[in-house]
Formats: sequence, C-alpha cells, structure tokens
Amino acid sequence: MAHLHIKNLQAGYGKKMILDNINLTVEQGEMIALLGPSGCGKTTLLNALCGFVPVSNGEIFAGDRAVSQLPAEKRNITMVFQSYALWPHMTVAQNIGYGLKVQKAKRVEIENRVTELLNIVKLEGLEDEKVTALSGGQRQRVALARALAIRPDVLVLDEPLSNLDAKVRLSVRHEIKALQKQLGFTSLIVTHDQEEALVMADRIAVLNQGKIEQIGTPEEIYHHPSTPFVADFMGAENHIEWPTNDDAFHLSLNNHAAPLDIYFRSENAVLSTQPSAIKDDFHTGLVINGHVAQSVFFGNNYQISVRCGKHTIQADHDQNLPEHTPVTLRVPIDALYAFTKNEKHSEHQKNHAVSV
Amino acid sequence: MRQTTSRNLLKNHLWLIAPAALMVGIFFLYPLCFSLYSAITLDNGAFTLSHLHKAFELYSNDILFTIVIVLSSVVILAVLSVTIAALITLSPFRSLTKTLGFLYRLPLFIPFIVTAQMMRTFLAKNGLMNNAFVASGLLTPMDTVSFLGWSGIIITFVWKQLAFSTLLISGAMAALDDSQIRAARNLGASRLRILFQIILPQIIPTLGVAMVLSIVTMMSVLSVPLMIGTGSPTMMTADMAFRINSYGDYHVANALGLVSYCICAGLAWFYLRQNLKEKGAN
Ligand SMILES: Nc1ncnc2c1ncn2[C@@H]1O[C@H](COP(=O)(O)OP(=O)(O)O)[C@@H](O)[C@H]1O
Ligand SMILES: [Mg+2]
Repeated sequence: MAHLHIKNLQAGYGKKMILDNINLTVEQGEMIALLGPSGCGKTTLLNALCGFVPVSNGEIFAGDRAVSQLPAEKRNITMVFQSYALWPHMTVAQNIGYGLKVQKAKRVEIENRVTELLNIVKLEGLEDEKVTALSGGQRQRVALARALAIRPDVLVLDEPLSNLDAKVRLSVRHEIKALQKQLGFTSLIVTHDQEEALVMADRIAVLNQGKIEQIGTPEEIYHHPSTPFVADFMGAENHIEWPTNDDAFHLSLNNHAAPLDIYFRSENAVLSTQPSAIKDDFHTGLVINGHVAQSVFFGNNYQISVRCGKHTIQADHDQNLPEHTPVTLRVPIDALYAFTKNEKHSEHQKNHAVSV
Repeated sequence: MRQTTSRNLLKNHLWLIAPAALMVGIFFLYPLCFSLYSAITLDNGAFTLSHLHKAFELYSNDILFTIVIVLSSVVILAVLSVTIAALITLSPFRSLTKTLGFLYRLPLFIPFIVTAQMMRTFLAKNGLMNNAFVASGLLTPMDTVSFLGWSGIIITFVWKQLAFSTLLISGAMAALDDSQIRAARNLGASRLRILFQIILPQIIPTLGVAMVLSIVTMMSVLSVPLMIGTGSPTMMTADMAFRINSYGDYHVANALGLVSYCICAGLAWFYLRQNLKEKGAN
C-alpha cells in the first residue's frame, strides 16, 4: 500500500472535459470518500486513476510512481465495481486468485492467499461455488477479495453498496470499514450517499460538476460546509436568500448588510406553537413565523412543512400538528450556514462575519 | 390451474396453427420424407441399401472432400471472426474499429453466386489478384498460380460467411459487461489473456452456433463448387446435381442427400443442446 497523490488532474471523454483541476492526496492507510450527486464525475475520476479514461493534464502518483501514462494493467490500482464485474464462468476461488495467476504466482501460493482472503471477507468454504450462485452481498465481498488479492497500492471502490438492499448494505458497509482499519489499505470510495460517506471515511471530498468543493474530516464537512453546495448536499436543505423582504423572518446576525445565502437543517429548526412567546436569547440566529402546511410521519418524529410567505421551511417536531397551525421556528446561530452571495466559493461567513 | 387453462386454450384454438402446420407439412416434411424414402427404396417400393452403397462407392472421395473443405473453412472462419470481433471489442483505436465494423458486414448482402463469380475473376491464374501481383512486380506471369480448386472454395466460403459469424460473435462480445474486461486489466491481464480467459469462455456457445449454422450453409451451396471447383474431387452438392441432370438418377442423389442430412443432423443436435443449455442457465 502506498499513498495516492492526484495533482492538477484533468480528464474527460473525447473533447468533453469532465474533471477539472482535481487535487487530492490520500495518505497511506487512509480512506477518503468521494461524495457527489449522480453525474458529477466520480466514476470518471476513478476510471482516470485506473487508466480506463485518458488523463489529458496533470499527474497521478501511486507511492512515488507517476502512473498517469501507464496502461491500466501496469498501474497496480484496483477497482471494486458497482456491478461487481465478477466473471461468471469462474468459481469464487478462480475469481479471487485471477490477479495472482496473471502474475504467474505459484499454485500453492495462490491457494493460500485465496483461503486467507476468504477468511478475511467471511466467505469460508465457498471457494468452489459458482459466483452466479451467490447473493449480492456475497458477490460484492468476492469482488473486494479479488481486488485486494494482488496487494494493490491503492484500492478504489465505485459505489460498492448501491446495488445491495438496505439491510445488507449496512452490514457490508460495516465490514468494508472494519477491513480497511484491519488491513490499512489506501482507498478512495465513491458514494452519493452522505451517511455512507460520514460513517466510512476518514476524510470526505465533496465533488460537484467535476470540481472538488471541499475536503475535510466528516465533522468538518458536516458542521462547517464551506460552500452552499456542500451545505445543501450535507442535508442543510432549508435555503433562504437574505434579505427576504418579509416580516416573518428575523435574522440576528450582527453583520448582515450584504445579501446572504442561508442554509440550515430541519432538525435544527426548533418549532414552538406559541407565537406570542417570542423572547429571543442571544443564541437564536433566525426566527421565522409561519403556518403548518403539511405534517409527515418519519418514524421517530414528524417533518413539518412550514409555510411562511413564499418560502416553505422544513422542521422536525415530536408531535403531529394540524394544518394551518401558527408556529414559530427558531434556528440557533451556530446551526446557520450563511454565505455572502457574490463570492459563493470564497468565504465562509459563519466563521468570519457572524458573531454573537 | 394454469396447466388446465392452457390445455383448454390449446384444444379450442388448435385450428389456429393448422395453416402453418399444413404449410410445413406440404412444402417441407413431405418432400423431406419422400427424398429419404427414395434414398432407401427401389422403384417398386422395396427396401434397399443399394443406392447408399452406390453413393459411397462412387462418391466416398467427394464426401470426404466435402467434410475436409467444410471443416477447414469453419476452422479458419472461427479464427478470423474471433480475431476481428476481438479487435473491435478490445482495440484502443476507436475510429479504426468503426471502419472495420462497417467493412466486415459487406459480404452479408452479397449472394453466394455473385461471390462465386467475383472470386472466380479474382482468384484465377490471370485473375485480378495475380494481375495485381504481377503489376506490382512481386510475381512474374510464369509464377502465378490459380487458386481455383479446393483453396478457392475455402476462400470463398470463408469470405462469404465471415460477416455472418463475426456479426454474431462481436454481438456476444459486446453484450459482455465492459467492467468485466476492466476488472481483468486492473489486475494486470494483457488484452490477449483477457481474450482467451475472460471473453472466449463466455462466448463459446455463440461461437458454436455461428459455426454450426455456417457449416449447414456451406454444405448446401451448389454455385461455389461448380464455379470455383476444378471438377474432381468436388463437393456433394455438385454430385447430386450431376446425378439428376445427367442420369435422372434421383435415388443416388437422394442417398447422397441422406448422407449430408446425417452430417447436418449431428450438428443440429449440438446446436439445440447448446440452445437448451443457455436457456437453462438464464
Ligand atoms: N463513456 C462516456 N462518454 C461520454 N460521456 C460520459 C461517459 N461516461 C460518463 N460520461 C459523462 O460524464 C459525466 C460524469 O459521469 P460519471 O463519472 O459516470 O458520474 P458519476 O459521478 O455519477 O459516477 C456525466 O455527465 C456523463 O454523462
Ligand atoms: Mg458512477
């Protein structure tokens, strides 16, 4: 295993550029999640790393080797595919041992390594099974074992969990993470699911339209999104543009002359049904008055859609509320993500302009 | 439940398939059975093996020749069409493969007799190919050889069937998940290794089908041995035509037909078995 270093990478299909100036370092033994919406170029980035998509600019280092001009078979970067990509005419053991067979390893050596890997991914005794006879979770574990068998410098995983059903997904997710800790492989995992990224990754890189918007630990990304896109993608889906020119909104940031984009999570909007009792303490950043438009049961709480003027704000609440109930929402100041409008990508207002 | 309804349906609507069954019966089964019957009976209807005996006595060389020609063609065909299909699937040069993908389909639209005529002018001692060699100074007119004869027949068969079998095979290759090939490259496998260890094992059934269908086609072509062959030995179709045209000897012609049925039936059995196996797998 070695570290992976991506420098000013540009890649695309033909003349169509998909990835724009990607810079990313994955430390040895680290797992980074590439998080982004569908179509933003995550798979393309992995394909460029593996050599399936030509790199038009920049360099990729696996350890100290520059690999961007090497053919795919010489890079020693292996991929776990979204569709598993197992070979149906081979048994489990043949699939896992194939990379070693290609390297002309001795038969005993291959057998030992296959047994070892079957133990690691908890598929003991299935070596002679046809891969077509396995369940989705088992197939993905075979694919993982196959990719690890040749001890690659870097392992990349392309949405490895997206074809599994919810319950299996949780267990495989846990296993991949445990395995990564145990074996310490350098890896880059692609996902469009923020929860998956938060749980599995040491660091997260949020990708949007072929650009990395922010890199950081899960906590940083979750609590301190540096761009509106990241805030929105990490679940702060309530968005208002300040000034709203609407009496229902009271913002108490002390420096908000400039137009702002404000984002916050529904779970941080504290809902109360006594509109009279507005008594803001200094922690409250935003107060919104409105009416219940809809209430949806979410298991452990209700998600209430609150209509205030032309905005609809989502808030979590522990009780069902009838429509048209007048309510007040209060959002604490440190749960507000405010970005100055014109320089969307440069400044994180929450850390600078906003103070209590 | 479902069984009974489908059985009822079958009973009530049996007449729907009657026209089709009748057509098959009149135009296919009846002539087939009659030809088989004629191969093993005398004019008065008594059973005999004398026609078959005569067919083997006179034409065993030609039967052997036919089998050798067809098998050689089919082997060459398999190698060439797998190569072309693999180039199309695995080549990193996209534009080249597009041209190739178009070119190899051309023979599909040219009838056998036209192909035979074309090959005749191309392969003869003073044909296009040799003229080109002479003009380019590679050969003198004295050195040229005619490819008419067994080699010409093979060339024509391969040329004509190549499009069909490449189409089937490259279709099967294209149907394989691209990530299967990527997974192998990822683990260090070269393109050649991927062809033999990942792709070929998965398209063997299709390859078999393409070859069997090609064999049956080649067994039934008359124009090519007549126009490109040199007379003796020749292929069974030419012998059959000769028996009928020159002697009006339908019995021996049918006996030869019986032999070629048997060869094809063996292959058809293989074809059906593969088909069933594939269905069972899915
Ligand atoms: N083979 C291809 N040829 C041309 N464009 C492609 C190809 N594959 C993907 N794209 C385009 O590249 C963009 C990024 O795709 P992809 O990397 O697959 O996104 P994702 O983040 O969902 O994995 C998309 O706009 C897609 O349309
Ligand atoms: Mg993708």
